[in-house]
Amino acid sequence: MSPPVYPAGSLVAKPRLRSNTMLAYTARRLALFVPMIAGIVIVTFGIMLLLPGDPAIVLLGEDASPEALVEIRTALGLDRPWYVRLAAYFAGLIQGDMGRSIFQNQPVADAIGARVGATLELALLALAIAIVLGITLGVAAALWRGTLVDTAAMLFAQLGVSMPVFWLGILMMLLFAVKLGWLPSIGRGEPLVEALGAAATGRFGPLLGAISHLAMPALTLGLNSAAVISRLVRSTMLETLSQDFIRTAHAKGLQVTRVILVHGLRNALLPIVSVIGLRFGALLGGAVLTENIFGWPGLGQLAVAAISQRDIPLVQGIVLSFALMFATVNLIVDLLYTVIDPRIRLE
Amino acid sequence: MRFGSALFGAAAVLAAAIASPAPSVAEVIRLGADVDAGTLDPRVQRDTTAYRVNNLLYDGLVQLDADLKPVPSLAVGWENPEPTVWIFRLRDGVKFHDGSDFSAEDVVYTFETILDPELKARFRSLYTPIAKIEAVDRLTVRIELSEPYAPLLSYMDLGIVPKAYVEGGGDLSNKPIGTGPMKLASWARGSKIVLEPFADYWGGMPKADGFEFVVVADNTSRAQAFEAGDLDIIQSPLSPQDIQRLGAMDDIGKSIMGGVGITYLNFNTAAEPLDDPAMRRALAMLVDQDTITNAIYEGVDQVATSILLPSSWAYTDTIKQPGFDPAGAKAALADLGWTDSDGDGVLDKDGKPLTIEISTHSEDPNRIQAVEFIQATFKQNGIDATVSIADWPAFFPSVQGGKYQIALLGWLNIVDPDRLMFAQFGTGAGQNYGKYSNPRVDTLLQTGRSSLDRAKRIEAYREAATIITEEVPYYVISYQGYQVFYGKDVALEPDVRGMMRSAVGF
Repeated sequence: MSPPVYPAGSLVAKPRLRSNTMLAYTARRLALFVPMIAGIVIVTFGIMLLLPGDPAIVLLGEDASPEALVEIRTALGLDRPWYVRLAAYFAGLIQGDMGRSIFQNQPVADAIGARVGATLELALLALAIAIVLGITLGVAAALWRGTLVDTAAMLFAQLGVSMPVFWLGILMMLLFAVKLGWLPSIGRGEPLVEALGAAATGRFGPLLGAISHLAMPALTLGLNSAAVISRLVRSTMLETLSQDFIRTAHAKGLQVTRVILVHGLRNALLPIVSVIGLRFGALLGGAVLTENIFGWPGLGQLAVAAISQRDIPLVQGIVLSFALMFATVNLIVDLLYTVIDPRIRLE
Repeated sequence: MRFGSALFGAAAVLAAAIASPAPSVAEVIRLGADVDAGTLDPRVQRDTTAYRVNNLLYDGLVQLDADLKPVPSLAVGWENPEPTVWIFRLRDGVKFHDGSDFSAEDVVYTFETILDPELKARFRSLYTPIAKIEAVDRLTVRIELSEPYAPLLSYMDLGIVPKAYVEGGGDLSNKPIGTGPMKLASWARGSKIVLEPFADYWGGMPKADGFEFVVVADNTSRAQAFEAGDLDIIQSPLSPQDIQRLGAMDDIGKSIMGGVGITYLNFNTAAEPLDDPAMRRALAMLVDQDTITNAIYEGVDQVATSILLPSSWAYTDTIKQPGFDPAGAKAALADLGWTDSDGDGVLDKDGKPLTIEISTHSEDPNRIQAVEFIQATFKQNGIDATVSIADWPAFFPSVQGGKYQIALLGWLNIVDPDRLMFAQFGTGAGQNYGKYSNPRVDTLLQTGRSSLDRAKRIEAYREAATIITEEVPYYVISYQGYQVFYGKDVALEPDVRGMMRSAVGF
């Protein structure tokens, strides 16, 4: 996947031409989403098929009689062969219909639509925390290598990588909500976008509410990725800072901050950006646990319920949404390459 | 300047939020719920959240009081002219949340639809003895039964739904309309169900200003949210560890009581070597109920003595299961021919080792621990015990299909002994997974179900319970406790089923 790197002296395409290439590249990448979706649907379907138990058992619970189970399976169409069910699902998907949730009594698209915002908000804020914290700590550790700063930053990274989300979440809640009473323990405030809109008109209450609700879940979710990123930033920064052009920049008498941020960090950023794209996948996975702990009304909570109830259409829909979010973020990351490093051309 | 003042404003709000943990004048009562309700149609409700919310949104013909006794609600009275005929006289002037009038047609519609297999109602089987239901006039309903059915009244708390609304295409699942003291204000799926008082309630204006059922899936974080003051009421299911901690706090209201559920071992009486009652009894003597209840469940449940619950009118403490007795078990197993003849530490008979598989489902960590503990005790006593654990949708079909030896399970909502025995122990009955059969028990359960004389019912159930204690198709480990914790300012008289009616005033 690594894009070809041209020597620094080679001709750089004219801006206009470049935006056209980018557009074509984006279109091609988007077209690749189609086989990806098909693949994901088939794999998810296969896993749900292999998993013992079906929604009829969950629907009827302990009181199920064998006759009632047969009736419900017929009503749900579970008695049809798997390839017929899969074909029917694809046929619906082409028309934009993700089916109806068995347990939520509403279309899958509605169930997901009502929650996707909450999960995106949480995951993106966690990502922002991870990036800011990770880069700051990583750069600091690299600059003051071998000092107390370095040790502290890497100790944090070690802890961040080792602490599981569910444990960290409960501990944070115990400290900030139960003992100190600073933050609300559960739930979500107003959607962040709306709260920001209100803040723009001078009403800061909703923003305060939104942020106080977001703080713990986003921090819980983001710390692990912050730790991973800070380690990587530290090592790539160390590598970059030892190169000749940095020495040259210093020799030219440039400001130290400029040398570090423009010459150093920018060149160290490339591998970090690709890792950030991949971390987003881990964040979506972590969101499933975080949401369950903090009563965050997102897709993660829904996913847990859907799988334990064998709500097949809903599971399919959620996995698809996660996959699309992940693929989109990685597409953006790939496009960012060209911005960060003009030597890179997308083909 | 503008930015500065806004910043100051924000800081002031923050300071206020931190400084004053608001002397909460319990305006809206916030309850923690472990799952979101699947549907708010009472006829097809499945989860405890739906059960508890619907209890506030709807009225049944009767309501069960704290002692599980049926008391008038939408029915003002009833009579029973023949054993198979019930006549209910209905309350006049009752309104649904949409302003329409309640009448006998709605009652008939509710029961006719729940009996229709098409509706896929989980609790349909409770009402199948109803052969015919008709509206005699606007305020009288007549029910004809196919056979006498004593528990009927206990199940008449089913919420009555408005016929015109549902037939007119109303979406009862998502936009419920009942006659109850609370009506739905909003429902953020997966997050929060908000109820507000119904001003035209037939009983008068409800006391509570509203309810919020807040979904927090994780047991421990739900308990912490309560401690942090973000929830006013939390209730079972809770982790035993959290119950211990909250139980020690003294500035909160709490109630820990015997509930309406059991945790038990289901013996497959059709599977060797469990087809011999003596064998089942011997194995039961190896179940250390005390440790399971007090160490694993940390004392929030109560050690069970028989199939009859302490919350029931049929309960007596004179009927007793075998109890933990390893020496007695060893002797009993030896009597059956199981001895360690080859000295490998495992009992054997005719050259075959004694192997037993115990299974349960993975959703409840305490059940997994209990099963593993029983396995350890079995092993110490020479039984080659194995454990099988799967999630509910995978585990339950094996029980239902009779492909198990001993399964650890539970029953809830036992508002009448019939609910725990008729379908479970009757020969060939629907939930008799272990294929237990005893003609005398069949007769007794039929008597218990059809006799309308409470004394006769008690006698029948006690005799049946005695036989079950001897033949051990079930070994009841514990009576499940029901726990509720609530803020001091919440006026609550908890009932064993977790219903919130007392906080509403009705």
